[in-house]
Amino acid sequence: MRDRVLILLLAIGLFLSAGLPLLAHHAFSATFDSKKPIKLTGTVTRIEWQNPHAWFYMDVKEANGSPTNWGMELGSPNLLIRAGWSRNSLKIGDGVSIEGFRAKDGTPTGNAQVVILTATGQRLFGASSAAPATR
Amino acid sequence: MRRLFLSILLFVFCTAPLRAQWTKVPAAGVPRTPDGRPNLSAPAPRLPDGKPDLSGVWNPPTGYLRDLSRDLKGDVPFRPLAKVIYDERAAGLRWREEPDANCLPQGVPKVLVAPAPWRIVQAPDRVFFVHEAFNLWWQAFMDGREFAPSPDVTPTWHGYSTGKWEGDTLVVDSRGFNGKVWLDQLGKPSTEALHVTTRFRRRDFGHMNIQITIDDPEAYTKPWTVDVEVNLLPNGELLEFICLENEKDVVRKSEK
Repeated sequence: MRDRVLILLLAIGLFLSAGLPLLAHHAFSATFDSKKPIKLTGTVTRIEWQNPHAWFYMDVKEANGSPTNWGMELGSPNLLIRAGWSRNSLKIGDGVSIEGFRAKDGTPTGNAQVVILTATGQRLFGASSAAPATR
Repeated sequence: MRRLFLSILLFVFCTAPLRAQWTKVPAAGVPRTPDGRPNLSAPAPRLPDGKPDLSGVWNPPTGYLRDLSRDLKGDVPFRPLAKVIYDERAAGLRWREEPDANCLPQGVPKVLVAPAPWRIVQAPDRVFFVHEAFNLWWQAFMDGREFAPSPDVTPTWHGYSTGKWEGDTLVVDSRGFNGKVWLDQLGKPSTEALHVTTRFRRRDFGHMNIQITIDDPEAYTKPWTVDVEVNLLPNGELLEFICLENEKDVVRKSEK
């Protein structure tokens, strides 16, 4: 239990260090727009638990009822593991909500800062690039 | 029979994740507080010959990857051409050209502040720097050899490094770079004239000061120096990191 609390505190600490990009291989602002925050809810359709970034894909229902498949970039699996994730933290079919930032290129792509599991309400931090304050 | 098969299959599936994990073994040689936690402020360890033992898994601070000079007092002494290159890169116009965005090496010293831990392996004649970031490594020779610049020397991402002790500080000189490295994500340039001096001083068991001096007369009018501090991960271990496996922002952008 104490380990879990420590991991949670560590994850929160990582999250609160906003302004400090944690990307291992490119600048946050290169691909994501810190001025375009997004909140989405949907169903996980695919998971790629691989470096340099874990990705997952989710179907999000549009107003007209048809789904759009969004791609969500996370930190590296290594950073996620150290933040308490495992490769099974997300599963295909899971209902999730995300808070993050949209890609600059306008595609349905984003950087998930927080992933909330609908079933349990558990908040998983993306261990990824926090949006830099400037640039 | 079918039921037995299914049972075995189920057993294998249920136990596989457990067998795939390492058994937790407490790190050896770690001083501990009375309640059993690693004592990170204990004195820095020493080798039998009295030299500081820098071995361990070290975790870099965030922020310097983006801006190596974030704590620098005064301006970075860019030469005019280097300033032009820097301004374009810092404006985000050339991010696709950053080597590590393409899964190419960060180079020295950037790999020391990339957001992944790295390990020092200290042998009598050389010190290895083993990086989780992109599974990279480089070495500093301690056997007295010196780097001799020559047109025949192949320029490299991590340069050619030698190390020596100045008191309790390991001073590593690195030269022979390929000039492709961006010193940080904002894009401070380097050239083949780059000479990096990195001074490692293990302050206590859990903390190490690193002073990095950038001397690149082709890009900067004078050397400039930054100080960073890394923390020991007493139970840390390096994980595999194959950057090209699923890179989708630059190299394999069309595969999103």
